[in-house]
Amino acid sequence: MAEQPLRRVSLLVVAGLGATGAALSTHVMEQWWVLVLLTAAMAAGHLLRVPAPNGEDLYFGVAVAASVPLLVGDVFAVGVVYAFGTLASWLVLDLRGVSRRQLRVFLLADSAALGAYALVFFTTDWAFRYGDVTGQWTELTSVAAGALAWFLVGAVLHALVSYEERRQGLRYMWLLAIADWPVVLSLFATGALFAFAWPVIRWWAFPVALMPYGFSHVAFVRSAGTRVTYGQTIRALARIPEVAGLAPTGHSSRTAELAVAVGQDLGLSPSEVVELEYAALMHDIGRITLNEPAILKAGYTDEDIARWGSQIVAEAPYLSRVADHVRTQHRPYRHPGEETDHELALAAKIIKVASAYDQAVAEAGLAPLEALETLHRGAAYDFDPRVVRSLRRVTTPRVPAAG
Amino acid sequence: MDDTTKLKLKLALGLAGAGTLLLALLAVLQDFPEPRLWALFAAALVFFEWNSVEVNDRLLVSPSVMVTLTAAVVFGPGSATLGVAAMAALGLLTPADLRGRRWFQPLANFGQFVITATVSVFVLELFLPTEVTIDNLWQVALGTAVAASIHSLVQFTIVSWVVHAVYQRREVRPWTQMGSNHASYLAMGFLGGLLGATYLLVGAVTLPLIFTAYFVGHLAFAAYGELREAQEATLRGFVKALEAKDLYTRGHTERVAHFAELIGEQLRYNPAQLQRLRWAALIHDVGKLAVPRELIRKKARLTDEEYAQMQRHVHVVEDILAEVEFLHPMVHIASGHHAHFDGSGYAGGTHSRGDAPTQEMSVLSVADAFDAMTSTRSYRVALSQEYAFTELRRHAGSQFDPRAVEALIAALERTGERYGSTELASEAEARRIAETMEGYRIYG
Repeated sequence: MAEQPLRRVSLLVVAGLGATGAALSTHVMEQWWVLVLLTAAMAAGHLLRVPAPNGEDLYFGVAVAASVPLLVGDVFAVGVVYAFGTLASWLVLDLRGVSRRQLRVFLLADSAALGAYALVFFTTDWAFRYGDVTGQWTELTSVAAGALAWFLVGAVLHALVSYEERRQGLRYMWLLAIADWPVVLSLFATGALFAFAWPVIRWWAFPVALMPYGFSHVAFVRSAGTRVTYGQTIRALARIPEVAGLAPTGHSSRTAELAVAVGQDLGLSPSEVVELEYAALMHDIGRITLNEPAILKAGYTDEDIARWGSQIVAEAPYLSRVADHVRTQHRPYRHPGEETDHELALAAKIIKVASAYDQAVAEAGLAPLEALETLHRGAAYDFDPRVVRSLRRVTTPRVPAAG
Repeated sequence: MDDTTKLKLKLALGLAGAGTLLLALLAVLQDFPEPRLWALFAAALVFFEWNSVEVNDRLLVSPSVMVTLTAAVVFGPGSATLGVAAMAALGLLTPADLRGRRWFQPLANFGQFVITATVSVFVLELFLPTEVTIDNLWQVALGTAVAASIHSLVQFTIVSWVVHAVYQRREVRPWTQMGSNHASYLAMGFLGGLLGATYLLVGAVTLPLIFTAYFVGHLAFAAYGELREAQEATLRGFVKALEAKDLYTRGHTERVAHFAELIGEQLRYNPAQLQRLRWAALIHDVGKLAVPRELIRKKARLTDEEYAQMQRHVHVVEDILAEVEFLHPMVHIASGHHAHFDGSGYAGGTHSRGDAPTQEMSVLSVADAFDAMTSTRSYRVALSQEYAFTELRRHAGSQFDPRAVEALIAALERTGERYGSTELASEAEARRIAETMEGYRIYG
């Protein structure tokens, strides 16, 4: 359902951009080669990928685009550069082998965000002129207002597109979309710094704008890399009980996958979802203790496994909340005759449900619907019905709409 | 008052006195810059001084030198040195010093900052034209690059001199790191000058943009540093917690990591190599976590079947960790740490039998053997440090890399750390020791 309309809309956007560019180009007073140069620079900027904290990629072309209204004051010229620049960037991204989904998101979200930037920039600028206020500070204010519009429109559309695709966790999608603000801030500051400096110091504007950005870029790239290897390291450590034959193979990674889907659906924030994922991956790490024959002989309960596991996780100073989730994930969501256990984090309840579901499907061999049925039956005390309902949503494939 | 305190007091008062004298002298010679502009730069400087971030392994770089030099260019000749020296003086108190109620660091830092700022900006003033134009921009940027370089040299000289005088225990290592450190200082100095000139030529509107660029870069590096620290802390914590389940190997990994790092420092490894070595040491025994305890604790020699079973477990874990691309080189070192220097002996997973080990493997091998001998195991008590030294030397050239052995001995003698039992192994123990070395070769 999500595929078709998105494709149609993106075709419309391509046609619209071409038409707008062509229509506006008749009114332009700027030298034509300036426009060609800026369009090319915007497209070339999309060769440099900037990893953002939320995993969605940004491109340096945004910084180039940010500088355009300051460099050419002519509204029509800016419109032409943005229309053709977006099309050219789209082609560049396609040549880079960016996925179809990302290309569509780019066309829908990024072109609209750019339009919002130009609109707000020129509206603010016009308002200042109307009030007879001019100067560098008003230009800077226009850039800041435009940048805010770019960011908000882009974030809303990114969230909506992801929601349209997966129909889950609008809050999660929104929080994820706005997590890249430092990168956006850095790109707009770089573009604006260049645009202010270029008329006065000419070629020196390149090192002035690009060197500070370069430092930040290195940090963005390294952070993204470390975030990936951190996750991989935890995934690898979490598998130790499995390879030692002390825990069923694949259980923790499947549980983590389900738990993440449920967490997103229930609107946890991105950082909470990461914690939930780590906790789910390691919810059985305490089983490494079963390596000790004396303990096997003495017997153990689920609570012991959870406690041993959380003791191990708690040794890592940055994972204290994850350790809490691991410690409490075996608890029933409420006790007979009591209301819900308020101290129990949602993440812990999610892990309990996801783990039980995976056990029912993978070990007891139940069909997904039967497994959900057993969870519903346990819903009185063990499993939080809200989490079980969410699990049903994320495990049941969406019904294709007619047409 | 003991001697060290007296010495510290003398040093601190000397430095602080020199700093105060310089400030007084500058106040007479120069004009104070525009106060609001000065306050803005001073606030930025204090912010970055208080929140310095680690860019590289143990390489602390804060953009403060950049802020300093941007400010110097903006203040202009005639007031730059005074303005910057006064800014630098504000850096004397840090939250850590306040919390620890330290008096030595703030006093010494005050003097150090003022002297460093005065010398470097004084040189910069020789380069600064009376009016910056687009034609003499290069002169400004060159001047700030030179000033940054002098800044880093002066600062390093004072710091290493003070550290050496007060804490004679260790020499300051960073001379070896100065190369890369210096390059980044040059780049930051160049940029700082350019940004200052941009402010003068383009106007005040560039100031918020420049500060945004500084600030985001700072944030990004802080986030990166924290993430990297979290990653290492996680691995460290896990290994520690997992081995705590076994009384006899408790602390083994931490100690091996420490010894490996000592050897690496002695052999003048660069920060990247040291980090790799530390990580390799942290994971060198992770594979054993998956081995059933009765095999590890067994006092008699393992049967071939048991030995094969143990190796299988170890290799499966190593393979899982090696799938993490980042950990691959560390796992390679860790799995080869049983290889003998002359190419004989057992070698694990990714390291094939018969190849001579890399130097990093040899370092880890020596560190592991030293800890195995100087700590108590289920099958024997700890041996003395002297005995371990003799034993390592005896096998140097065959099992161990002689350079690594000598480096460990030199490093431990330098730091004065002591491990193992206090007495030499007695004749009666010697027989048990023979068994020990045998055992070490099997279990590592």
